[in-house]
Amino acid sequence: MNDHFPVVLRLFARCIPGDLREPIAGDLHEEYLAIRERQGAGRATAWLWWQSLRLAVTFRWERAAHRRPLPPIGDELRGLGSMWDGLRQDIVFGVRMLRRQPGFTAVAIFALALGIGATTAIFSVVDAVLWRPLPFPHADRVMSLAEQRPRESRWFGVVAPADYFDWQRDSRSFSAMAAYAAQSPSGAYNLTGEGEPERVRPLQATSQFLDVIGVRPALGRGFRAEEETVGRHRVVLLSDALWRRRFAADPSAVGRTVAFDGRTFEIIGVLPAQFWWPSHPDIVVPLALDDHDRTLRAAHFLEVIGRLGDGVPADRAREELRIIGRRLAQEFPAENANHLPNLRPLRDALVGDVRTMLLVMLGAVAFVLLIACANVATLLLARAAARQKEVSIRTAVGAARGRLVQQMLTESLVIAAAGGATGVLLAAWSLSALRALLPASFAGLPGLDHLAIDLRVLTVSVTVSLATGLLFGVLPALAASDERLAVSLNEESRGGTGSVRAKRLRAGLVVAELALSLVLLAGASLLVVSFNNLLNVSPGFQPAQLVITRVTLPGSRYGEHPRVVAFFDAVFEQLAVAPAIQRVGATTSLPLDDSDSRLELTIEHRTADSPFPVRVHPRVVSTGYFQTMGIPLLRGREFTGHDVDTSGRVAIINEASARRYWPNEDPIGQRISIGETAEWREIIGVVGDTRDEGLDADADPAAYLPQHQRFESLGTGFERAVTLVIRTTGDAASVTPLIRTAVSNVDRQVPIGLVRRMDEFIGDSIAPRRLNFVLVSAFALVALALTSAGLYGVMAYLVTQRTREIGVRMALGASRTQVLALVLREAGSMTLLGIAIGVAGALGLTRFMATMLFGVTASDPAVYAGVSLLLAVVALLAVAVPSSRATRIDPLVALRDS
Amino acid sequence: MAAADVVNLGEFEHMVLLAIMRLGEDAYAVPVRDEIARCTGRDVSRGSIYITLDRLETKGYLKSRLADPTPERGGRAKRYYALRPRAVDALKESRRALVALWSGLEAVLAQP
Repeated sequence: MNDHFPVVLRLFARCIPGDLREPIAGDLHEEYLAIRERQGAGRATAWLWWQSLRLAVTFRWERAAHRRPLPPIGDELRGLGSMWDGLRQDIVFGVRMLRRQPGFTAVAIFALALGIGATTAIFSVVDAVLWRPLPFPHADRVMSLAEQRPRESRWFGVVAPADYFDWQRDSRSFSAMAAYAAQSPSGAYNLTGEGEPERVRPLQATSQFLDVIGVRPALGRGFRAEEETVGRHRVVLLSDALWRRRFAADPSAVGRTVAFDGRTFEIIGVLPAQFWWPSHPDIVVPLALDDHDRTLRAAHFLEVIGRLGDGVPADRAREELRIIGRRLAQEFPAENANHLPNLRPLRDALVGDVRTMLLVMLGAVAFVLLIACANVATLLLARAAARQKEVSIRTAVGAARGRLVQQMLTESLVIAAAGGATGVLLAAWSLSALRALLPASFAGLPGLDHLAIDLRVLTVSVTVSLATGLLFGVLPALAASDERLAVSLNEESRGGTGSVRAKRLRAGLVVAELALSLVLLAGASLLVVSFNNLLNVSPGFQPAQLVITRVTLPGSRYGEHPRVVAFFDAVFEQLAVAPAIQRVGATTSLPLDDSDSRLELTIEHRTADSPFPVRVHPRVVSTGYFQTMGIPLLRGREFTGHDVDTSGRVAIINEASARRYWPNEDPIGQRISIGETAEWREIIGVVGDTRDEGLDADADPAAYLPQHQRFESLGTGFERAVTLVIRTTGDAASVTPLIRTAVSNVDRQVPIGLVRRMDEFIGDSIAPRRLNFVLVSAFALVALALTSAGLYGVMAYLVTQRTREIGVRMALGASRTQVLALVLREAGSMTLLGIAIGVAGALGLTRFMATMLFGVTASDPAVYAGVSLLLAVVALLAVAVPSSRATRIDPLVALRDS
Repeated sequence: MAAADVVNLGEFEHMVLLAIMRLGEDAYAVPVRDEIARCTGRDVSRGSIYITLDRLETKGYLKSRLADPTPERGGRAKRYYALRPRAVDALKESRRALVALWSGLEAVLAQP
């Protein structure tokens, strides 16, 4: 039981004077025994260690006091209390000092609040999206499986059905594997029956889907394997929200039937309320592929996920898949040559490119925080210089350096705590704004539904606040308590500018701020230039005055091609007579819609001269589509109403196809076949390229087919899901009711989707970039403001400090110009150094942004010259006021004042 | 001399001296702390007791002696403290000064 005491004594040996150690240990021993008697050994031991530690700290703290002349009683008593008393005193004193200088305090707290607030807000987003586990049990074992197709530069492409079934059959690394439709061929379903018709978002997934993500239905059951087959697949799982909305949360809904697109489905279960999936589906239905679709290897439209088996590392699963993939490539060289299965964690697949963007934002915001720190540090340094006399006196009467540093650090921490608290408030307030800024394409990112400042984010904020307090406080505190500064008592009266060290420190901080700002400005400018380049990219059509809406015909009543054609012809006829509408067209896939259905292209009289299959994007379009969209016809003719099933089959290709497949000849009149149907189509025209996968992606080969001619290579749902494009004469809003009326006049059971303006649609496609550049630019502007404020503060301070020196110079005949040059030389050298370091840093750091840039390289000289110039001008403005003040110094006044 | 001492005695030092006076022969750190707590209701830290005792000894108000080690203290000695005449003078002087300052103020205190 006494085992503690030798250790306690050793602890004391370093802290407590020799003649007191034994008696104090004896006293502790005595009380220890008494406490052990009353409260047990555990409590007594804890008490002993706590007291020993407190005593050691107290004595250690007071050791200096033994050596120095006795301070005034008030001080002595304060020091006598425990360390905590001392700390409390420091805090009270610090708060008092800060309240005495409200201007300084407000600026410092505001700068920090901006930095900490922005960091907290962005961190909460980054944390939610990138770092928190997905809302599935053992989410780290859920993998996204993809097909690597180097020829199309796709490393994680969607999967062909036949490949998926082979993987599922042959691999042993997964406890469950499932596929779901990458883009549901018919978009949304029309839910009819009791109540208003409603469009619901389906997720078509194979039977093991819920097993892979580890979700069990809250009510009812999941899918059975046999429900993957056509004919037995009319079962549905409802989302919790839909169940509550349509069935008033009635448990007996399970077992009832609902009609989607006019077909009856049996409700077999309800998903739990916390079920989350990126596409936010309202219903989950089995993905049932018919015998034909199951054998497709060239049509890629499945997303595949798998749960790793217990103890199977991802690398081993990838290896196994690749072995299977190599075998398939040998067996089916036409479709699978060079294709390999690939695998990555599901989160990486969901987050994709957004990761870089979020990390760049986090980096930018960290820079703002660093600049804010440097800014507050320069303020503190300037203040420390003003307090040199106080410090010198305190040192002279025996204050220990450690004590002074503690006092000043406490003040910094008080500032940091106030800044942190304000910052967290700012962050909480800005989160809702940030949420509103997030583009629609972010809806599929994990964690954004529950964006909040929670304990985890708060912990980070508090840590960041305290760390910043130390970061900006430690240098000024050390500088201020520097014993070498003691001579400043004399220096000050000579009108010096503080010690050389303090001056260098200040200059160093300003240079650091300038350099950090330049990096941010360079990054922001690159993003702005990229975004501007993107806005100037022509999408290949005329988006002004176009509106679009999606119409999906139910397969039950529109299973036959003539009925589809008749429906759209009737709608077009109704719309054509409206004066507000110029032209109407329809397409199965809109530009910028990034659809991945490519089919094999066979060219008559040509043998494949490359091992890779020749492919095009097939698009079924109506007569008049090109004119409506404003896609230019380059050669040949457009489709007319005469291109029907009974006439000769035709196709129009885009420029990219013509360039790639007929580089030196005229494609007009050539015959091609698309997909597996061996029907030859004659090329009758070439139209301009449109940007199909985004403004930043070059056009891919595409072939347009007339709506009036049957096209079945992509399955039967393809031509029923159509986007209407309408060119208006005026306001888009005015045509919405016209479209609704026209569709409902033709078939009351067919609802239409949202009517949107085409330019909005284009805006959405670049919204992530817009968010990125808006935020990073905002951070860069804040950085610029903080930096110029810092530069102004330092220069103003230097000028004030050198009033006497400048006065003497002027008295001795220095001209105003010479004085101005003196001040500007100082500011100029700091600025140039800051810019030089900043450019070097930016060249190093912006490389990580390469994937986010468009039409500009990360080391674009014009951008760097521009931001350097901008920073130099802002720096010049910041020093303009102090330097003009310097030139107006009256030598007489300056000399008299000192 | 005595008047100057009063100025140099802090409130806490004052309390420590009085506690030692009250304890008489039995004054070592543990009972001193208990006595202060008992009389004033203030729970003071052990560190400040030790440092104040040490300081008062250095200033010449206290003398101390080491007693024989006892087993219930793990064989460690106690350090007993006793007042020097200077401390008694200082306490008397401070009491006199305080009483003088207080005299006639009872009526003021009695007011609500």
